[in-house]
Amino acid sequence: MNYLLHILIMINIYLVLAFSLNLLIGYTGLLSICHAAFYGIGAYISTLLMINLGMNFFLALLLSILGAMLISLLVSLPSLRLKGDYFILCTIGFQLIVFTILYNWISLTRGPYGISGIPTPSLFGFEFSTIPRYFLLTLIMGIISFIIIRRILISPFGRLLKAIREDELATQSLGKDIFKVKILSFLIAAGIAAISGSLFAHYVTYIDPTSFTLEESIFIATIIIVGGMGNLKGPFVGTVLLFIIPELLRFLGIPDAVAANLRQMIYALLLIAFMYFRPQGIAGEYKFK
Amino acid sequence: MLIQLLANGIVMGSVYALVAMGFGLIYSTTGIFHFAHGIIYTLGAYLLYLLFINLKISILSSLLLSLAGAASLGIMVELLIYSPLRRKEAAPAVYIISSLGVYIFLQNLIALIFGNETKVIFPGVSKTYHFGSIILTQIQVFEVVAFAILFSIFCIFLMKTRFGKALRGLSNNALLAEVVGIDVRKIRIIAFGAGSLLAGVGAVLVSLDVGIDPNMGISMFLLAAVAVIVGGVKTFTGAVLGGLFLGVIQNLVIWKASARWQTLVTFFILIMFLLFKPEGIMGKKRRLEEV
Repeated sequence: MNYLLHILIMINIYLVLAFSLNLLIGYTGLLSICHAAFYGIGAYISTLLMINLGMNFFLALLLSILGAMLISLLVSLPSLRLKGDYFILCTIGFQLIVFTILYNWISLTRGPYGISGIPTPSLFGFEFSTIPRYFLLTLIMGIISFIIIRRILISPFGRLLKAIREDELATQSLGKDIFKVKILSFLIAAGIAAISGSLFAHYVTYIDPTSFTLEESIFIATIIIVGGMGNLKGPFVGTVLLFIIPELLRFLGIPDAVAANLRQMIYALLLIAFMYFRPQGIAGEYKFK
Repeated sequence: MLIQLLANGIVMGSVYALVAMGFGLIYSTTGIFHFAHGIIYTLGAYLLYLLFINLKISILSSLLLSLAGAASLGIMVELLIYSPLRRKEAAPAVYIISSLGVYIFLQNLIALIFGNETKVIFPGVSKTYHFGSIILTQIQVFEVVAFAILFSIFCIFLMKTRFGKALRGLSNNALLAEVVGIDVRKIRIIAFGAGSLLAGVGAVLVSLDVGIDPNMGISMFLLAAVAVIVGGVKTFTGAVLGGLFLGVIQNLVIWKASARWQTLVTFFILIMFLLFKPEGIMGKKRRLEEV
Protein backbone atom coordinates (compact mmCIF):
# COMPACT_ATOMS: atom_id res chain seq x y z
CA MET A 1 0.00 0.00 0.00
CA ASN A 2 2.78 2.41 0.93
CA TYR A 3 4.55 1.45 -2.30
CA LEU A 4 1.52 2.40 -4.32
CA LEU A 5 1.11 5.63 -2.34
CA HIS A 6 4.78 6.44 -2.92
CA ILE A 7 4.25 6.23 -6.67
CA LEU A 8 1.10 8.32 -6.38
CA ILE A 9 2.98 10.97 -4.40
CA MET A 10 5.67 11.15 -7.09
CA ILE A 11 2.97 11.30 -9.78
CA ASN A 12 1.30 14.16 -7.92
CA ILE A 13 4.57 16.07 -7.67
CA TYR A 14 5.31 15.57 -11.36
CA LEU A 15 1.75 16.40 -12.38
CA VAL A 16 2.22 19.83 -10.87
CA LEU A 17 5.51 20.18 -12.79
CA ALA A 18 3.94 18.95 -16.01
CA PHE A 19 0.92 21.25 -15.77
CA SER A 20 3.12 24.25 -15.17
CA LEU A 21 5.48 23.41 -18.04
CA ASN A 22 2.49 22.81 -20.33
CA LEU A 23 1.64 26.45 -19.76
CA LEU A 24 4.91 27.33 -21.52
CA ILE A 25 5.30 24.56 -24.11
CA GLY A 26 1.71 23.72 -24.90
CA TYR A 27 -0.05 27.04 -24.45
CA THR A 28 2.45 29.79 -25.12
CA GLY A 29 4.46 27.70 -27.60
CA LEU A 30 7.78 28.20 -25.78
CA LEU A 31 9.92 25.03 -25.76
CA SER A 32 11.67 25.73 -22.46
CA ILE A 33 14.23 23.15 -21.28
CA CYS A 34 14.94 24.55 -17.82
CA HIS A 35 12.02 23.45 -15.70
CA ALA A 36 14.19 21.32 -13.42
CA ALA A 37 16.02 24.53 -12.51
CA PHE A 38 12.83 26.07 -11.05
CA TYR A 39 11.97 22.72 -9.48
CA GLY A 40 15.41 22.75 -7.82
CA ILE A 41 15.22 26.41 -6.83
CA GLY A 42 11.91 25.71 -5.08
CA ALA A 43 13.35 22.69 -3.31
CA TYR A 44 16.47 24.51 -2.13
CA ILE A 45 14.81 27.76 -1.04
CA SER A 46 12.16 26.09 1.13
CA THR A 47 14.68 23.60 2.53
CA LEU A 48 17.20 26.30 3.45
CA LEU A 49 14.52 28.52 4.98
CA MET A 50 13.18 25.69 7.13
CA ILE A 51 16.58 24.39 8.21
CA ASN A 52 18.40 27.69 8.75
CA LEU A 53 15.58 29.89 9.99
CA GLY A 54 13.23 27.25 11.39
CA MET A 55 10.42 28.64 9.29
CA ASN A 56 7.02 26.95 9.00
CA PHE A 57 6.66 24.83 5.83
CA PHE A 58 3.82 26.82 4.35
CA LEU A 59 5.59 30.14 4.80
CA ALA A 60 8.78 28.64 3.33
CA LEU A 61 6.73 27.27 0.44
CA LEU A 62 5.27 30.69 -0.25
CA LEU A 63 8.70 32.31 -0.19
CA SER A 64 10.15 29.62 -2.45
CA ILE A 65 7.40 30.31 -4.97
CA LEU A 66 8.19 34.01 -4.87
CA GLY A 67 11.92 33.25 -5.12
CA ALA A 68 11.49 31.06 -8.17
CA MET A 69 9.29 33.67 -9.81
CA LEU A 70 11.89 36.34 -9.20
CA ILE A 71 14.68 34.17 -10.58
CA SER A 72 12.54 33.29 -13.60
CA LEU A 73 12.90 36.92 -14.67
CA LEU A 74 16.64 36.33 -15.02
CA VAL A 75 15.98 33.76 -17.73
CA SER A 76 12.77 35.08 -19.27
CA LEU A 77 13.92 38.66 -19.79
CA PRO A 78 16.88 37.70 -22.00
CA SER A 79 15.59 34.48 -23.55
CA LEU A 80 12.18 35.75 -24.60
CA ARG A 81 13.80 38.21 -26.96
CA LEU A 82 15.10 35.20 -28.89
CA LYS A 83 13.35 32.71 -31.12
CA GLY A 84 13.57 29.04 -32.04
CA ASP A 85 16.90 27.31 -31.48
CA TYR A 86 18.38 30.30 -29.69
CA PHE A 87 15.57 30.41 -27.18
CA ILE A 88 15.99 26.70 -26.45
CA LEU A 89 19.76 27.02 -26.11
CA CYS A 90 19.30 29.99 -23.79
CA THR A 91 17.02 28.00 -21.48
CA ILE A 92 19.48 25.08 -21.54
CA GLY A 93 22.19 27.55 -20.60
CA PHE A 94 20.13 28.82 -17.67
CA GLN A 95 19.51 25.23 -16.55
CA LEU A 96 23.26 24.53 -16.56
CA ILE A 97 24.04 27.80 -14.75
CA VAL A 98 21.56 26.96 -11.96
CA PHE A 99 22.99 23.45 -11.66
CA THR A 100 26.54 24.81 -11.49
CA ILE A 101 25.53 27.21 -8.72
CA LEU A 102 23.72 24.53 -6.70
CA TYR A 103 26.69 22.23 -7.15
CA ASN A 104 29.47 24.69 -6.38
CA TRP A 105 28.12 27.21 -3.87
CA ILE A 106 29.07 24.80 -1.12
CA SER A 107 28.77 27.21 1.81
CA LEU A 108 25.08 27.68 1.02
CA THR A 109 23.84 24.50 -0.66
CA ARG A 110 26.47 22.03 0.63
CA GLY A 111 27.07 21.26 -3.06
CA PRO A 112 27.47 17.60 -4.05
CA TYR A 113 27.10 16.46 -0.41
CA GLY A 114 23.47 17.50 -0.48
CA ILE A 115 21.26 18.52 2.44
CA SER A 116 19.86 15.78 4.65
CA GLY A 117 17.42 15.75 7.54
CA ILE A 118 14.94 18.10 5.88
CA PRO A 119 12.05 18.54 8.34
CA THR A 120 8.57 17.29 7.43
CA PRO A 121 5.83 19.88 7.01
CA SER A 122 3.23 20.46 9.70
CA LEU A 123 0.11 22.57 9.91
CA PHE A 124 -1.45 23.55 13.28
CA GLY A 125 0.37 20.67 14.97
CA PHE A 126 -0.68 18.13 12.33
CA GLU A 127 2.53 16.49 11.04
CA PHE A 128 2.60 15.21 7.45
CA SER A 129 5.10 12.61 8.59
CA THR A 130 3.67 9.32 7.30
CA ILE A 131 3.31 8.34 3.67
CA PRO A 132 -0.52 8.41 3.62
CA ARG A 133 -0.49 11.85 5.24
CA TYR A 134 2.07 13.12 2.78
CA PHE A 135 0.00 11.73 -0.04
CA LEU A 136 -2.87 13.82 1.28
CA LEU A 137 -0.66 16.91 1.29
CA THR A 138 0.54 16.39 -2.31
CA LEU A 139 -3.01 15.64 -3.40
CA ILE A 140 -4.30 18.88 -1.90
CA MET A 141 -1.43 20.92 -3.32
CA GLY A 142 -1.90 19.20 -6.67
CA ILE A 143 -5.58 20.04 -6.75
CA ILE A 144 -4.92 23.64 -5.74
CA SER A 145 -2.30 24.03 -8.50
CA PHE A 146 -4.61 22.37 -11.00
CA ILE A 147 -7.45 24.73 -10.12
CA ILE A 148 -5.16 27.76 -10.41
CA ILE A 149 -3.82 26.64 -13.80
CA ARG A 150 -7.29 25.78 -15.09
CA ARG A 151 -8.58 29.13 -13.92
CA ILE A 152 -5.74 30.87 -15.77
CA LEU A 153 -6.27 28.88 -18.93
CA ILE A 154 -9.98 29.49 -19.27
CA SER A 155 -9.54 33.19 -18.53
CA PRO A 156 -8.95 35.79 -21.25
CA PHE A 157 -5.27 35.57 -20.34
CA GLY A 158 -5.26 31.86 -21.27
CA ARG A 159 -6.80 32.64 -24.63
CA LEU A 160 -4.16 35.30 -25.13
CA LEU A 161 -1.45 32.68 -24.55
CA LYS A 162 -2.99 30.45 -27.21
CA ALA A 163 -3.26 33.39 -29.57
CA ILE A 164 0.45 34.10 -29.18
CA ARG A 165 1.20 30.44 -29.86
CA GLU A 166 -0.88 30.43 -33.03
CA ASP A 167 0.19 33.77 -34.47
CA GLU A 168 2.45 36.22 -32.67
CA LEU A 169 2.21 38.98 -35.22
CA ALA A 170 -1.57 38.90 -35.40
CA THR A 171 -1.77 39.05 -31.61
CA GLN A 172 0.64 41.95 -31.54
CA SER A 173 -1.40 43.78 -34.13
CA LEU A 174 -4.39 43.57 -31.80
CA GLY A 175 -2.43 45.78 -29.44
CA LYS A 176 -1.42 43.05 -27.01
CA ASP A 177 1.95 43.34 -25.29
CA ILE A 178 3.13 39.80 -26.11
CA PHE A 179 6.49 40.23 -24.38
CA LYS A 180 4.75 41.02 -21.09
CA VAL A 181 2.34 38.12 -21.51
CA LYS A 182 5.19 35.68 -22.15
CA ILE A 183 7.06 36.96 -19.09
CA LEU A 184 3.92 36.47 -17.01
CA SER A 185 3.46 32.91 -18.24
CA PHE A 186 7.09 32.22 -17.35
CA LEU A 187 6.55 33.70 -13.88
CA ILE A 188 3.49 31.54 -13.24
CA ALA A 189 5.13 28.37 -14.57
CA ALA A 190 8.25 28.93 -12.45
CA GLY A 191 6.22 29.64 -9.32
CA ILE A 192 4.15 26.48 -9.69
CA ALA A 193 7.26 24.39 -10.44
CA ALA A 194 8.67 25.63 -7.12
CA ILE A 195 5.67 24.06 -5.34
CA SER A 196 6.72 20.69 -6.76
CA GLY A 197 10.27 21.35 -5.64
CA SER A 198 9.29 21.98 -2.01
CA LEU A 199 6.94 19.01 -1.98
CA PHE A 200 9.71 16.79 -3.32
CA ALA A 201 12.37 18.04 -0.88
CA HIS A 202 10.25 17.61 2.22
CA TYR A 203 9.08 14.20 1.05
CA VAL A 204 12.47 12.57 0.37
CA THR A 205 14.07 14.65 3.21
CA TYR A 206 17.38 14.70 1.32
CA ILE A 207 18.26 16.77 -1.74
CA ASP A 208 21.37 17.19 -3.83
CA PRO A 209 21.90 18.92 -7.18
CA THR A 210 21.73 15.66 -9.17
CA SER A 211 17.93 15.71 -8.87
CA PHE A 212 17.78 18.97 -10.82
CA THR A 213 19.89 18.33 -13.91
CA LEU A 214 19.45 19.02 -17.61
CA GLU A 215 18.35 15.38 -17.99
CA GLU A 216 15.57 16.06 -15.50
CA SER A 217 14.46 19.11 -17.51
CA ILE A 218 14.39 16.98 -20.64
CA PHE A 219 12.37 14.36 -18.77
CA ILE A 220 9.75 16.91 -17.73
CA ALA A 221 9.56 18.18 -21.30
CA THR A 222 9.18 14.56 -22.48
CA ILE A 223 6.11 14.20 -20.26
CA ILE A 224 4.43 17.09 -22.10
CA ILE A 225 5.64 16.14 -25.57
CA VAL A 226 4.56 12.50 -25.26
CA GLY A 227 1.44 13.13 -23.21
CA GLY A 228 0.17 15.92 -25.38
CA MET A 229 0.50 19.66 -25.60
CA GLY A 230 -2.00 22.44 -25.21
CA ASN A 231 -4.77 20.95 -23.11
CA LEU A 232 -5.32 19.69 -19.57
CA LYS A 233 -5.42 15.97 -20.44
CA GLY A 234 -1.96 15.82 -22.01
CA PRO A 235 0.24 16.32 -18.92
CA PHE A 236 -1.94 13.88 -17.00
CA VAL A 237 -1.59 11.14 -19.63
CA GLY A 238 2.13 11.82 -20.00
CA THR A 239 2.94 11.75 -16.29
CA VAL A 240 1.03 8.55 -15.63
CA LEU A 241 2.52 6.81 -18.68
CA LEU A 242 6.10 7.83 -17.94
CA PHE A 243 5.77 6.70 -14.33
CA ILE A 244 4.22 3.36 -15.24
CA ILE A 245 7.08 2.43 -17.61
CA PRO A 246 9.78 2.12 -14.88
CA GLU A 247 7.37 0.18 -12.66
CA LEU A 248 6.76 -2.24 -15.55
CA LEU A 249 10.51 -2.70 -15.92
CA ARG A 250 10.70 -3.47 -12.22
CA PHE A 251 7.80 -5.88 -12.60
CA LEU A 252 9.65 -7.66 -15.42
CA GLY A 253 12.53 -8.25 -13.02
CA ILE A 254 15.15 -6.17 -14.85
CA PRO A 255 18.04 -5.26 -12.49
CA ASP A 256 18.12 -1.64 -11.31
CA ALA A 257 21.47 -0.81 -12.92
CA VAL A 258 20.16 -1.82 -16.36
CA ALA A 259 16.66 -0.47 -15.77
CA ALA A 260 17.91 3.11 -15.29
CA ASN A 261 19.49 3.21 -18.75
CA LEU A 262 16.74 1.16 -20.34
CA ARG A 263 14.11 3.56 -19.03
CA GLN A 264 15.93 6.53 -20.58
CA MET A 265 16.23 4.65 -23.86
CA ILE A 266 12.50 3.95 -23.91
CA TYR A 267 11.74 7.63 -23.20
CA ALA A 268 14.09 8.63 -26.02
CA LEU A 269 12.46 6.22 -28.46
CA LEU A 270 9.05 7.57 -27.45
CA LEU A 271 10.28 11.09 -28.21
CA ILE A 272 11.56 10.12 -31.66
CA ALA A 273 8.50 8.04 -32.53
CA PHE A 274 6.04 10.70 -31.41
CA MET A 275 7.88 13.44 -33.27
CA TYR A 276 7.52 11.40 -36.45
CA PHE A 277 4.10 9.84 -36.13
CA ARG A 278 2.18 12.14 -33.82
CA PRO A 279 3.92 15.43 -33.00
CA GLN A 280 1.01 16.64 -30.87
CA GLY A 281 1.48 13.77 -28.39
CA ILE A 282 -1.12 11.25 -27.23
CA ALA A 283 -3.86 13.58 -26.07
CA GLY A 284 -2.59 16.93 -27.29
CA GLU A 285 -4.16 19.39 -29.62
CA TYR A 286 -1.15 21.55 -30.50
CA LYS A 287 1.72 20.69 -32.85
CA PHE A 288 5.01 22.54 -33.01
CA LYS A 289 5.12 25.11 -35.76
CA MET B 1 51.79 31.11 -15.51
CA LEU B 2 49.55 33.30 -17.67
CA ILE B 3 51.39 32.25 -20.84
CA GLN B 4 51.04 28.58 -19.93
CA LEU B 5 47.31 29.06 -19.31
CA LEU B 6 46.91 30.84 -22.62
CA ALA B 7 48.69 27.94 -24.32
CA ASN B 8 46.40 25.46 -22.56
CA GLY B 9 43.50 27.63 -23.70
CA ILE B 10 44.62 27.38 -27.31
CA VAL B 11 44.97 23.60 -26.95
CA MET B 12 41.50 23.22 -25.46
CA GLY B 13 40.17 25.73 -27.94
CA SER B 14 41.59 23.70 -30.83
CA VAL B 15 39.44 20.73 -29.85
CA TYR B 16 36.37 22.94 -29.32
CA ALA B 17 37.05 24.50 -32.70
CA LEU B 18 37.20 21.09 -34.41
CA VAL B 19 33.87 19.96 -32.98
CA ALA B 20 32.37 23.42 -33.53
CA MET B 21 33.50 23.48 -37.18
CA GLY B 22 31.59 20.23 -37.63
CA PHE B 23 28.48 21.49 -35.89
CA GLY B 24 28.63 24.84 -37.66
CA LEU B 25 28.90 23.13 -41.04
CA ILE B 26 25.79 21.06 -40.34
CA TYR B 27 23.84 23.85 -38.67
CA SER B 28 24.46 26.44 -41.35
CA THR B 29 23.81 24.14 -44.32
CA THR B 30 20.80 22.22 -43.01
CA GLY B 31 19.43 24.56 -40.34
CA ILE B 32 19.11 21.64 -37.93
CA PHE B 33 20.21 22.24 -34.36
CA HIS B 34 21.93 18.85 -34.47
CA PHE B 35 22.00 17.81 -30.81
CA ALA B 36 23.04 14.30 -31.82
CA HIS B 37 26.39 15.80 -32.85
CA GLY B 38 27.31 15.33 -29.20
CA ILE B 39 26.67 11.61 -29.27
CA ILE B 40 28.60 11.17 -32.51
CA TYR B 41 31.51 12.72 -30.64
CA THR B 42 31.05 10.24 -27.76
CA LEU B 43 30.67 7.32 -30.16
CA GLY B 44 33.88 8.23 -31.98
CA ALA B 45 35.72 8.00 -28.67
CA TYR B 46 34.08 4.71 -27.66
CA LEU B 47 34.77 3.19 -31.09
CA LEU B 48 38.43 3.94 -30.53
CA TYR B 49 38.25 2.27 -27.12
CA LEU B 50 36.45 -0.76 -28.53
CA LEU B 51 38.85 -1.22 -31.44
CA PHE B 52 42.11 -0.38 -29.72
CA ILE B 53 41.59 -1.78 -26.20
CA ASN B 54 38.95 -4.51 -26.58
CA LEU B 55 39.78 -5.81 -30.06
CA LYS B 56 43.50 -4.91 -29.86
CA ILE B 57 43.72 -3.48 -33.38
CA SER B 58 46.76 -1.27 -34.10
CA ILE B 59 46.36 2.36 -33.05
CA LEU B 60 46.50 3.78 -36.57
CA SER B 61 43.79 1.52 -38.01
CA SER B 62 41.71 2.02 -34.85
CA LEU B 63 41.91 5.77 -35.33
CA LEU B 64 40.94 5.61 -38.99
CA LEU B 65 38.08 3.18 -38.36
CA SER B 66 36.75 5.34 -35.50
CA LEU B 67 36.71 8.39 -37.74
CA ALA B 68 34.98 6.47 -40.52
CA GLY B 69 32.50 5.18 -37.94
CA ALA B 70 31.74 8.69 -36.67
CA ALA B 71 31.23 10.00 -40.22
CA SER B 72 28.91 7.15 -41.23
CA LEU B 73 26.92 7.54 -38.03
CA GLY B 74 26.35 11.20 -38.77
CA ILE B 75 25.12 10.31 -42.25
CA MET B 76 22.86 7.62 -40.78
CA VAL B 77 21.21 10.14 -38.45
CA GLU B 78 20.52 12.36 -41.47
CA LEU B 79 19.11 9.49 -43.56
CA LEU B 80 17.11 7.72 -40.84
CA ILE B 81 15.88 10.64 -38.72
CA TYR B 82 16.06 14.03 -40.43
CA SER B 83 15.33 13.00 -43.99
CA PRO B 84 11.95 11.40 -43.17
CA LEU B 85 11.04 14.47 -41.08
CA ARG B 86 11.95 16.72 -44.00
CA ARG B 87 9.56 14.79 -46.23
CA LYS B 88 6.82 15.49 -43.70
CA GLU B 89 7.85 19.17 -43.59
CA ALA B 90 8.24 19.03 -39.83
CA ALA B 91 8.65 22.13 -37.65
CA PRO B 92 12.17 23.13 -36.48
CA ALA B 93 11.35 22.16 -32.88
CA VAL B 94 10.51 18.64 -34.08
CA TYR B 95 14.04 18.23 -35.45
CA ILE B 96 15.60 19.38 -32.17
CA ILE B 97 13.47 17.05 -30.09
CA SER B 98 14.17 14.08 -32.36
CA SER B 99 17.86 14.93 -32.30
CA LEU B 100 17.74 15.10 -28.51
CA GLY B 101 16.01 11.71 -28.55
CA VAL B 102 18.83 10.23 -30.63
CA TYR B 103 21.35 11.71 -28.20
CA ILE B 104 19.66 10.29 -25.09
CA PHE B 105 19.06 6.89 -26.68
CA LEU B 106 22.65 6.37 -27.78
CA GLN B 107 24.18 7.80 -24.61
CA ASN B 108 22.26 5.31 -22.50
CA LEU B 109 23.09 2.50 -24.91
CA ILE B 110 26.79 3.32 -24.53
CA ALA B 111 26.44 3.50 -20.73
CA LEU B 112 24.65 0.15 -20.77
CA ILE B 113 27.37 -1.55 -22.83
CA PHE B 114 30.53 0.09 -21.47
CA GLY B 115 29.46 1.22 -18.00
CA ASN B 116 29.26 4.73 -16.57
CA GLU B 117 32.80 5.07 -15.28
CA THR B 118 35.61 7.03 -16.91
CA LYS B 119 37.98 4.89 -18.97
CA VAL B 120 41.54 5.74 -19.94
CA ILE B 121 43.04 4.66 -23.24
CA PHE B 122 46.68 5.61 -22.67
CA PRO B 123 47.49 5.35 -18.96
CA GLY B 124 50.59 6.90 -17.52
CA VAL B 125 52.42 10.15 -18.19
CA SER B 126 53.04 11.08 -21.79
CA LYS B 127 56.12 12.73 -23.23
CA THR B 128 56.30 16.53 -22.81
CA TYR B 129 57.77 19.26 -24.99
CA HIS B 130 59.15 22.61 -23.84
CA PHE B 131 58.58 25.72 -25.92
CA GLY B 132 60.32 28.46 -23.99
CA SER B 133 58.38 28.66 -20.74
CA ILE B 134 55.44 26.65 -22.08
CA ILE B 135 55.17 22.93 -21.41
CA LEU B 136 52.86 20.82 -23.58
CA THR B 137 52.31 17.07 -23.66
CA GLN B 138 52.68 15.12 -26.87
CA ILE B 139 48.95 14.68 -27.33
CA GLN B 140 48.35 18.40 -26.72
CA VAL B 141 50.73 19.17 -29.55
CA PHE B 142 48.83 16.68 -31.73
CA GLU B 143 45.59 18.49 -30.86
CA VAL B 144 46.86 21.82 -32.09
CA VAL B 145 48.54 20.34 -35.18
CA ALA B 146 45.46 18.29 -36.15
CA PHE B 147 43.32 21.38 -35.76
CA ALA B 148 45.65 23.53 -37.88
CA ILE B 149 45.82 20.94 -40.68
CA LEU B 150 42.08 20.22 -40.73
CA PHE B 151 41.21 23.89 -40.60
CA SER B 152 43.39 24.55 -43.65
CA ILE B 153 41.86 21.62 -45.55
CA PHE B 154 38.41 22.80 -44.51
CA CYS B 155 39.03 26.31 -45.85
CA ILE B 156 40.39 25.02 -49.15
CA PHE B 157 37.46 22.60 -49.44
CA LEU B 158 34.95 25.37 -48.82
CA MET B 159 36.51 28.01 -51.02
CA LYS B 160 37.99 26.08 -53.92
CA THR B 161 35.97 22.92 -54.57
CA ARG B 162 32.61 22.57 -56.23
CA PHE B 163 31.15 20.89 -53.15
CA GLY B 164 32.38 23.72 -50.97
CA LYS B 165 30.69 26.28 -53.16
CA ALA B 166 27.50 24.23 -53.20
CA LEU B 167 27.65 24.00 -49.39
CA ARG B 168 27.98 27.74 -49.06
CA GLY B 169 25.18 28.20 -51.54
CA LEU B 170 22.91 25.90 -49.56
CA SER B 171 23.70 27.77 -46.37
CA ASN B 172 22.99 31.07 -48.04
CA ASN B 173 19.64 30.18 -49.57
CA ALA B 174 18.40 26.59 -49.59
CA LEU B 175 15.58 27.15 -52.03
CA LEU B 176 17.72 29.04 -54.52
CA ALA B 177 20.40 26.35 -54.29
CA GLU B 178 17.85 23.76 -55.29
CA VAL B 179 16.54 25.95 -58.10
CA VAL B 180 19.96 26.35 -59.71
CA GLY B 181 20.32 22.59 -59.82
CA ILE B 182 22.50 21.82 -56.80
CA ASP B 183 21.81 18.30 -55.57
CA VAL B 184 20.85 19.42 -52.04
CA ARG B 185 20.33 15.85 -50.84
CA LYS B 186 23.89 14.94 -51.68
CA ILE B 187 25.26 18.17 -50.24
CA ARG B 188 23.42 17.57 -46.98
CA ILE B 189 24.94 14.09 -46.73
CA ILE B 190 28.38 15.55 -47.36
CA ALA B 191 27.79 18.16 -44.67
CA PHE B 192 26.76 15.51 -42.15
CA GLY B 193 29.66 13.22 -43.12
CA ALA B 194 32.31 15.93 -42.96
CA GLY B 195 30.85 17.54 -39.84
CA SER B 196 30.72 14.22 -38.01
CA LEU B 197 34.25 13.41 -39.14
CA LEU B 198 35.44 16.63 -37.49
CA ALA B 199 33.61 15.68 -34.28
CA GLY B 200 35.30 12.28 -34.49
CA VAL B 201 38.75 13.85 -34.75
CA GLY B 202 38.05 15.97 -31.67
CA ALA B 203 36.77 12.89 -29.86
CA VAL B 204 39.74 10.62 -30.50
CA LEU B 205 42.16 13.38 -29.51
CA VAL B 206 40.35 14.08 -26.23
CA SER B 207 39.98 10.38 -25.47
CA LEU B 208 43.73 9.87 -25.89
CA ASP B 209 44.36 12.94 -23.73
CA VAL B 210 41.98 12.66 -20.77
CA GLY B 211 39.90 9.47 -21.30
CA ILE B 212 36.26 8.77 -22.04
CA ASP B 213 32.91 8.60 -20.26
CA PRO B 214 29.35 8.34 -21.61
CA ASN B 215 28.54 11.97 -20.66
CA MET B 216 31.48 13.49 -22.52
CA GLY B 217 29.38 14.45 -25.55
CA ILE B 218 26.79 16.75 -24.02
CA SER B 219 29.17 19.31 -22.56
CA MET B 220 31.30 19.23 -25.70
CA PHE B 221 28.25 19.68 -27.91
CA LEU B 222 27.00 22.63 -25.89
CA LEU B 223 30.46 24.22 -25.99
CA ALA B 224 30.56 23.71 -29.75
CA ALA B 225 27.11 25.23 -30.14
CA VAL B 226 28.13 28.22 -28.03
CA ALA B 227 31.35 28.54 -30.05
CA VAL B 228 29.39 28.58 -33.31
CA ILE B 229 26.98 31.25 -32.09
CA VAL B 230 29.69 33.37 -30.48
CA GLY B 231 31.78 33.11 -33.65
CA GLY B 232 28.94 33.73 -36.07
CA VAL B 233 26.63 31.08 -37.46
CA LYS B 234 26.74 31.42 -41.24
CA THR B 235 30.40 32.28 -41.45
CA PHE B 236 31.97 28.77 -41.19
CA THR B 237 35.24 30.19 -39.86
CA GLY B 238 33.43 31.89 -36.98
CA ALA B 239 33.18 28.53 -35.21
CA VAL B 240 36.98 28.34 -35.09
CA LEU B 241 37.31 31.78 -33.58
CA GLY B 242 34.53 30.99 -31.12
CA GLY B 243 36.17 27.72 -30.11
CA LEU B 244 39.57 29.29 -29.50
CA PHE B 245 37.94 32.19 -27.65
CA LEU B 246 36.08 29.80 -25.31
CA GLY B 247 39.21 27.72 -24.73
CA VAL B 248 41.18 30.79 -23.67
CA ILE B 249 38.33 32.20 -21.54
CA GLN B 250 37.89 28.90 -19.73
CA ASN B 251 41.56 28.84 -18.82
CA LEU B 252 41.39 32.42 -17.61
CA VAL B 253 38.49 31.33 -15.39
CA ILE B 254 40.73 28.59 -13.96
CA TRP B 255 43.34 31.24 -13.28
CA LYS B 256 41.07 33.87 -11.72
CA ALA B 257 38.52 31.61 -9.99
CA SER B 258 38.25 27.86 -10.37
CA ALA B 259 37.48 25.27 -13.03
CA ARG B 260 34.15 24.68 -11.27
CA TRP B 261 32.75 27.94 -12.61
CA GLN B 262 33.63 27.32 -16.27
CA THR B 263 30.12 26.27 -17.29
CA LEU B 264 28.62 29.33 -15.67
CA VAL B 265 31.00 31.70 -17.45
CA THR B 266 30.53 29.92 -20.81
CA PHE B 267 26.76 30.28 -20.74
CA PHE B 268 26.93 33.78 -19.37
CA ILE B 269 29.01 34.66 -22.42
CA LEU B 270 26.45 32.94 -24.65
CA ILE B 271 23.57 34.92 -23.20
CA MET B 272 25.52 38.17 -23.47
CA PHE B 273 26.32 37.45 -27.13
CA LEU B 274 22.74 36.45 -27.93
CA LEU B 275 21.53 39.70 -26.46
CA PHE B 276 24.09 42.20 -27.61
CA LYS B 277 25.86 40.68 -30.61
CA PRO B 278 23.61 37.87 -31.91
CA GLU B 279 25.41 37.80 -35.27
CA GLY B 280 28.61 36.70 -33.50
CA ILE B 281 32.17 37.95 -33.74
CA MET B 282 32.50 37.32 -37.48
CA GLY B 283 28.91 37.72 -38.61
CA LYS B 284 27.39 40.64 -40.45
CA LYS B 285 25.21 42.90 -38.40
CA ARG B 286 21.58 41.81 -38.35
CA ARG B 287 18.60 42.82 -36.33
CA LEU B 288 17.68 40.55 -33.44
CA GLU B 289 14.29 39.83 -35.00
CA GLU B 290 15.91 38.26 -38.06
CA VAL B 291 18.11 35.86 -36.11
